[in-house]
Amino acid sequence: MTLTDDVTLALLLAGCGFYLAGTVGLLRFPDVFCRLHALTKADNLGLFLVCSGLAVHSGEARVVSLLLLIWLVGLLAATVSAHLIARHAHQHLATSPEDSNEQR
Amino acid sequence: MTLFLLDGLIVVGLVTLAYQAVSSRSLFRGIIHFVVFGLTMALAWARVGAPDLAMAEAAIGAGLTGALMLVAYRRLVEGRSDSPADPAPAQSRLALPIAIGSGLLVGVIGLSALFSEVEPAQAGQAVLSELQQVDLGNPITAVLLLYRGLDTLLEVAVLLTAFLAARAVAGADGGEGSATTPAPETPMVGALLAVVIPLTVLVAIHLLRAGSYEPGGAFQGGAVLAGAGVLLILSGRIAATPVAGPLIRMGLLAGLVSFMLIGLVPLLKGSPLLALPGLWAVYFIETAMMLSIAITLILLFAGGGGLKRGRNG
Repeated sequence: MTLTDDVTLALLLAGCGFYLAGTVGLLRFPDVFCRLHALTKADNLGLFLVCSGLAVHSGEARVVSLLLLIWLVGLLAATVSAHLIARHAHQHLATSPEDSNEQR
Repeated sequence: MTLFLLDGLIVVGLVTLAYQAVSSRSLFRGIIHFVVFGLTMALAWARVGAPDLAMAEAAIGAGLTGALMLVAYRRLVEGRSDSPADPAPAQSRLALPIAIGSGLLVGVIGLSALFSEVEPAQAGQAVLSELQQVDLGNPITAVLLLYRGLDTLLEVAVLLTAFLAARAVAGADGGEGSATTPAPETPMVGALLAVVIPLTVLVAIHLLRAGSYEPGGAFQGGAVLAGAGVLLILSGRIAATPVAGPLIRMGLLAGLVSFMLIGLVPLLKGSPLLALPGLWAVYFIETAMMLSIAITLILLFAGGGGLKRGRNG
């Protein structure tokens, strides 16, 4: 294995770890806001790590810029949808764990 | 080994998700499972080397069908019952025999495919050598338009028929009761749309153009364009009207009519029906089909006959 492969592997594994943490948080946290907290932080970083791992692996300028674009669009979509869900939850739903469980 | 693991994961996931989608107690969960099933199916298509199908599956099977199901759920189910939990439907007595029969059918087909002697495929080679003369790098688009033109034409006709049937079922009241919640007044939605809509249109045009030499084409481009329309409807930028304006009607018919007209011309010259006169015809028909597909899907989602500028437009 070359150095590039090592770096790729490390980045991909770290990204998967963050995704796993975010998913565990989504499943285990008690209410909407905590779940969003887990998702928005961990998954965005996970996506960044996976994208950069793939970028290191390919090394082509075109692929790297495409991966950067994917990450940015993913960030934008995740941010806005999390914002909208949080807003809706804040305005309409009771925040007790039982109620938000139903809305999952 | 790793790829084998991945394939196994996809297969197990597909079966599990399919079972969850049809057997879920809550209809809402069933819909979500169906969407995830569509995405996994797209992965499976990509794994067997069919990127065209993977894109169509992800865009139409998971994205737009999921959106249609969710909007139908909101209209038909959510408002009706007071309790959020759906009543569990009684299991039909036919369920078990049908399940066993389907399983046997799949098993027999799979086994016969495994044990049958594969004849060397002649048609594919012949088509590929014929295609050298046509300037279409993507054999899938070429086969769809040059050799299976009738199939493609009928697919567009089926889509139009489905839309007309939906309009007939919805009746005249469609379009009045808006399917969407009032759009939230937050500047972030506008910011998202300002970035995503141009990007989506760009991707759709790219898919259409790319369809001639790499995976892509009218259906994929149309589905992506329809995704942009769904976003605009959800954010209240455009809204449904009961009756379509002339522009929308023309858009709805553009694909079918242009394909039929250009397909009929060869008859006058004594060539077979639907023998396309050249590359320009392929591009023209694909563009018209993309617009028609997008408008049909958007109108199906909006639940109306036409579109107008929405509250926040």
